[in-house]
Amino acid sequence: MTSTTGVDRGVNGVTAAAVTPAPHPVAARTRGLRKVYRSTVAVDHVDLDVPLGSVLGMLGPNGSGKTTTIRMLLGLVTPTAGTVELLGHRLPEGAARALPEVGALVEGPGFHPFLSGRENLLRCAAAEPLLATGGIGRAVGEALERVGLADAANRRYRGYSLGMKQRLGLAAALLIPRRFVVLDEPTNGLDPAGTREVRAVIAALHAAGTTVLVSSHLLSEVEATCTHVAVLHRGSVVAQGELGELLDAGDNGLLVSTPDTTVAVDTLRDKRIPARVTPDGLRVDLTTTTAPDVVATLVAAGVAVHEVRRQRAGLEELFTRLTEADQNGAALSDLDGRLQLSPVEEVSR
Amino acid sequence: MTTLTVSGQVSAPVARTHAPIGRLLRSELRLVLRRPRTLIALGLLVLVPVLAGIGIALAADGTLEPPPGAEGPGAIAAILSENGLVLPIFVLTISLQMLLPMVGAMWAADALAGESSVGSLRNLLVAPVGRARLLGVKAFGVATAVVIGVGLMTASGVISGLVLLGGNSMITISGTTLSFWPALGRILLTALLVTVQVLAVAAVALAISSVTEHPLIVMAVSLGGIIVFTVLNAIPALSWLHPLLITDSWQAMIDVMRDPIPTDALVEGVLRAGCYLAIGGSLALARMLTRDG
Repeated sequence: MTSTTGVDRGVNGVTAAAVTPAPHPVAARTRGLRKVYRSTVAVDHVDLDVPLGSVLGMLGPNGSGKTTTIRMLLGLVTPTAGTVELLGHRLPEGAARALPEVGALVEGPGFHPFLSGRENLLRCAAAEPLLATGGIGRAVGEALERVGLADAANRRYRGYSLGMKQRLGLAAALLIPRRFVVLDEPTNGLDPAGTREVRAVIAALHAAGTTVLVSSHLLSEVEATCTHVAVLHRGSVVAQGELGELLDAGDNGLLVSTPDTTVAVDTLRDKRIPARVTPDGLRVDLTTTTAPDVVATLVAAGVAVHEVRRQRAGLEELFTRLTEADQNGAALSDLDGRLQLSPVEEVSR
Repeated sequence: MTTLTVSGQVSAPVARTHAPIGRLLRSELRLVLRRPRTLIALGLLVLVPVLAGIGIALAADGTLEPPPGAEGPGAIAAILSENGLVLPIFVLTISLQMLLPMVGAMWAADALAGESSVGSLRNLLVAPVGRARLLGVKAFGVATAVVIGVGLMTASGVISGLVLLGGNSMITISGTTLSFWPALGRILLTALLVTVQVLAVAAVALAISSVTEHPLIVMAVSLGGIIVFTVLNAIPALSWLHPLLITDSWQAMIDVMRDPIPTDALVEGVLRAGCYLAIGGSLALARMLTRDG
């Protein structure tokens, strides 16, 4: 199956960079995940891989199954069918072993309104298996500090603004150093400064080697912070892989600025590389070749090359194409086999 | 600890998979006892014996004239006057009919449904606190609140009885007189029996609480159930059904005021409560293990 090999290649690409070969190259993996609520199929055929050490952005329109998938990843919801592997442990049997090292902010922050922010965190901390009883006070203090709630720590949660509530949820997820952090819409209700802070937190986690799964509907946020992307649509993963690869795959073209368009096109066509003239130069199709080859060919032929750049679709364009695609899947046809793709027909049954 | 990079998990030391149970129980107790509702309910339970004592004292003084021929407050006042140690038993028995089960159901409602409705149950499940363990912790919180509630009501009843109605002995329904310490024994026995009954209701309420995320539904079903049971219990034609109804035991509670105590109905009541506890507990457990968090 091409989709599986595509995934494995992506995974190996990540682990090869690690200093020690890890026995479990993914932080989380789902296979054939399906969840049916009464008669509604919330999630179907979700084969998601969260490569170890990656920051995976989970994108999808409202109701595409992001939160349901995350809840199954964390063992909160039992899948109707399919398997979940979290930090090398199968759920639900391995939940007790895997979950202590997982921090999560799911479906918004959930705290007791009559307790202060600190009291709420103390309660979360009491339930953390990896936190020593003596270290609770300090861990809570540091977590509050990290999300900028130290000043409001003793105020009742009831009086918190939406952004402060969100920060407290983030603090609970980061009470102890984690191997895997799951953040479901972490920037909901945050002002631009808060959003930047969340990005900084994610970057810091990534730098420390923590795997992060962020679900979001804010594309720019994902593009700015993520190394990998998974796009969900109508309960299925329609694309996943490295962010750069995904963007490249959408439009496999190279834009070359040159005055010698005729010579360039002829040279390339001699080498069986498809190219066509555009107003500023030419567009070279990279399906059968690579960018360095194209440049080398042109330079060897004496073509004056002013500028060469990859034609990249923005994430937004890609997202729109994937999630608003025709039922016949025509819009997906130009994505190549390096990426795991489910035909749209399968999605929309 | 700061760089938790992946290492071979086979050789890794066995990491703790759950927080110490003592810490969880303390945290739960702290939550239950800081909830404003809990404090209001406990205050109410303390207040009821005081108000009852004042009312009866006023009636006994003749300040409140009972309607002619009525066997209402006047009759009770006649028994209670100068017989203050009966007050806690009187109040506990009356409160068992509705007030105490309601408060117990409220605590059970807050324990799971309430926690689920604000979303904080997720935090515990993801921590993770094992599901069976979580139910145990929650049941402990509810049970502790019930014990504290009945205990406070009893203590308040004893004090109000002694202060407002006087007397340091207890005249039983059978006509005998118990001295102070045996009387106190009867009061503690009543408190114990009432606690068991309230715990049984709370266990069933906890099972309902594990099904829904709306605390109000738990209250409605529990109270509705008690009212229906009371009505069924009052219909003689349904006497075959009465042994199944927990409310049936509550009528017999007054047996503690007889001398010697007829134990049959009281023991049966405890056994029946035990069945309700077992059924409620297992339903709650079954649901907790499968519920979507």
